[in-house]
Amino acid sequence: MDYIHVILADSSQLVRLGLISLLNQMKYPFHVREISAPEKLSALNPRELNGLLIVSASFLHQCTPVFIQSLHMKINSSARVLINDQDNNPKEYRGFDEVIEAADHDKTIIRKLEKQLSLISQQKGIQDSPEGISDREKDVLRLVAIGLTNKEIADKLFISSHTVITHRKNITKKLGIKTIAGLTMYALINRLVIPEEIN
Amino acid sequence: MKMAEVVHLNYHLLPIISRFGIHLGFGERTIEQLCTEYEIDVNFFLVILNSCHDKNYFPRKHLQGFSLKLIIEYLRKSHQYYLNIKIPRIDQLLQQLLIQASGLGGDSLKLIDRFFKEYKIELASHLGREEEKVYPYVFTIEEAFQSHIMSRELVSRIYEYSIDDYENEHDNMEDKLCDLQNIIIKYLPIPLDMNLCHMILMELFRLESDLNDHARIEDKVLVPKVRYMEKWIIDHFNS
Repeated sequence: MDYIHVILADSSQLVRLGLISLLNQMKYPFHVREISAPEKLSALNPRELNGLLIVSASFLHQCTPVFIQSLHMKINSSARVLINDQDNNPKEYRGFDEVIEAADHDKTIIRKLEKQLSLISQQKGIQDSPEGISDREKDVLRLVAIGLTNKEIADKLFISSHTVITHRKNITKKLGIKTIAGLTMYALINRLVIPEEIN
Repeated sequence: MKMAEVVHLNYHLLPIISRFGIHLGFGERTIEQLCTEYEIDVNFFLVILNSCHDKNYFPRKHLQGFSLKLIIEYLRKSHQYYLNIKIPRIDQLLQQLLIQASGLGGDSLKLIDRFFKEYKIELASHLGREEEKVYPYVFTIEEAFQSHIMSRELVSRIYEYSIDDYENEHDNMEDKLCDLQNIIIKYLPIPLDMNLCHMILMELFRLESDLNDHARIEDKVLVPKVRYMEKWIIDHFNS
């Protein structure tokens, strides 16, 4: 079973316990990590923020600007939920997918959290699909391996550069290989290209 | 706390302790006693140990009083450790695997070997750049900060290349290491000596985690101190 990572950041233990008890009423399996000090949250690597982040506005205000800025970057299969405990305009918090108001009823909170959890688990499902890469993705990978740029690949396959980038993102997601050198090695091992083709 | 207890708590800290020149045979001595004996700044030792033990650790202000020279000396020693011990060990295991698999599908392994060789060169040049460009810059900043002697050249140098630029340059070294792990875990096509493969993977994971510790010390200990000094220099030069 695949667990969803939940990071729960608030200085109040009562708030954290309350949220955990609500999360327990949902059908999604999760691991929770509680964070009670802003500097601990600020110290997290953006990569650790996959899954669900729940943080209160008052807590977020004490985090470092660098961290708050990093929340604008979207990571795959992740969601961020803000607890608006400061009567601020929630629009001022960019990068959040949902806002829980301090006065929200428990049913409302559950509905909001459940929506985010279901989105995450859907995305994870896609990411973890066992099938390899599609034929079109293989075409793109082959050309990446022989050293063509995105523009050249686009021209060769009669597609837009934008589509090439999307294919490349999907290839990286499926294979877990990020660098061009790594992709080239994959293509060679799986005989998508032969050594002589590579510059 | 006794040093022996530290090792029982987290044995991954052993190479770090040894990087400070403290060797096994701690007896009943505490961290403080051993640091005094080896003439090591105990606050600095604790900051490094804690940063490697707990990735969420952030040194409190009063623990940051040591000089930049100490940090850089430590970082240099860890560079030596990666290049002279870690990398050759992985290299040796890879060669062993290559010899064993010669003939049957050794081509894939040769690719992996080549990839690792390229990685090795990149890592060495990355670390070399830090030693040749970044660390001397840090020394210049610390010197000006301590002596209060500042020049227009120095200030324009800060504007041109500050420590934040260096922090942003932490390039895709981690990505390559991660790719290599994935290729070995997922796509090695032929039956090989699994024990040897596991050993290589463990070493790669250890190297990754060491490099992460290293980057964390740079980002959380070195960079904030230099950033503070840069700001101080600019403020005082202008006033």
